[in-house]
Amino acid sequence: MNMKELDLLKKDWQKNEGSFEQLSEKDIYAMIHKKSSSIVKWILIVSILEFFILNGIGLLLPDDSTNLSEKENLYLNVLTFFSYGITIYFVFLFFKNYKAISIISSTKELAESILKTRKTVKYYIGYNIIYTITMIISFVIYTIFTDVKANNNFSNHAIFTILLITFISIILAIIIWMFYQLLYGFLLKKLKRNYEELRKIDL
Amino acid sequence: MKSEQEHSFVKQLQENQNIIHKICRLYTEDEDAHKDLFQEITIQLWNAYPKFRGDSKFSTWAYRVALNTAITLYRKTKRSIATVGYEGNSHFIPEVNYNYEEEEQLKLLYKAVYQLNDIEKALIFMYLEDKDYTEIAETLGITEVNARVKMNRIKGKLKKILNP
Repeated sequence: MNMKELDLLKKDWQKNEGSFEQLSEKDIYAMIHKKSSSIVKWILIVSILEFFILNGIGLLLPDDSTNLSEKENLYLNVLTFFSYGITIYFVFLFFKNYKAISIISSTKELAESILKTRKTVKYYIGYNIIYTITMIISFVIYTIFTDVKANNNFSNHAIFTILLITFISIILAIIIWMFYQLLYGFLLKKLKRNYEELRKIDL
Repeated sequence: MKSEQEHSFVKQLQENQNIIHKICRLYTEDEDAHKDLFQEITIQLWNAYPKFRGDSKFSTWAYRVALNTAITLYRKTKRSIATVGYEGNSHFIPEVNYNYEEEEQLKLLYKAVYQLNDIEKALIFMYLEDKDYTEIAETLGITEVNARVKMNRIKGKLKKILNP
């Protein structure tokens, strides 16, 4: 492009200052009291829901600890204690990253801080999936162990149960993962694309 | 009750609103989306206003917040970016009072700018606004050298769109 064309564009661009329908002070007053619909706000809402849902499920499940021995009960309590600790840590990390998002940082830094906040939640979801699968496997092993102890052999029924439970938990994990890819994909597609573009410039 | 802070913010924004209008024109394709983005930028500016200390000009500060909102925070993505015809984006065509040849050239130029991606638009926008490369680089978070290199590439890209 020669300079003449770009100069023409610049001249025209700067000349067009007055071509916009001007908003009054009253219009702007009304606007600042409206709610934001930015992706950062949506990430916050979705994340809070996630923390509540993931921790709410555990509270809703029936408590059958009465069937367990004292030793098993202690083991379960320690596990619960640790999982709460990890959840609190993730919530803390999430809010720390969320607070660090600043609209006045450079575009690249802003995109980075949003992606970092989102990553915290991603790891938390990943941790929950692994935790749940571990619990299911532990339960399966426990069942087999009692089964073998009672019948003195390893029944076909037990093998079938293991395979079924493993299969179901893998499918479940995949479905949850895909749901998140979709949800965050929708929210973050544009941001990611622009972040990549900025990153490429400095390569 | 309108607070003192609200009053000074609204006054400054009202005076500088063309900055935001120009960004909205660049990043949206119809009047509704323009208004929607304008509102989101206004909300973001207002939320960030307590941190605005006045050590930079209101306009400089507003440029950054507005561009950041358009590029990273704004959720509604354009439905079909490159395929939408220029004629369809009538709100993008400014009033032109040049001779016929220049008018045609300008139409093509605006159409070409409209086909650029979000980051390229930001660079061209700041170029058209007479911003220097230091400010362009700082706003986007890239190095000054690479901002220049990228700008030259964009010029090349525009040339290609204009003369295929």
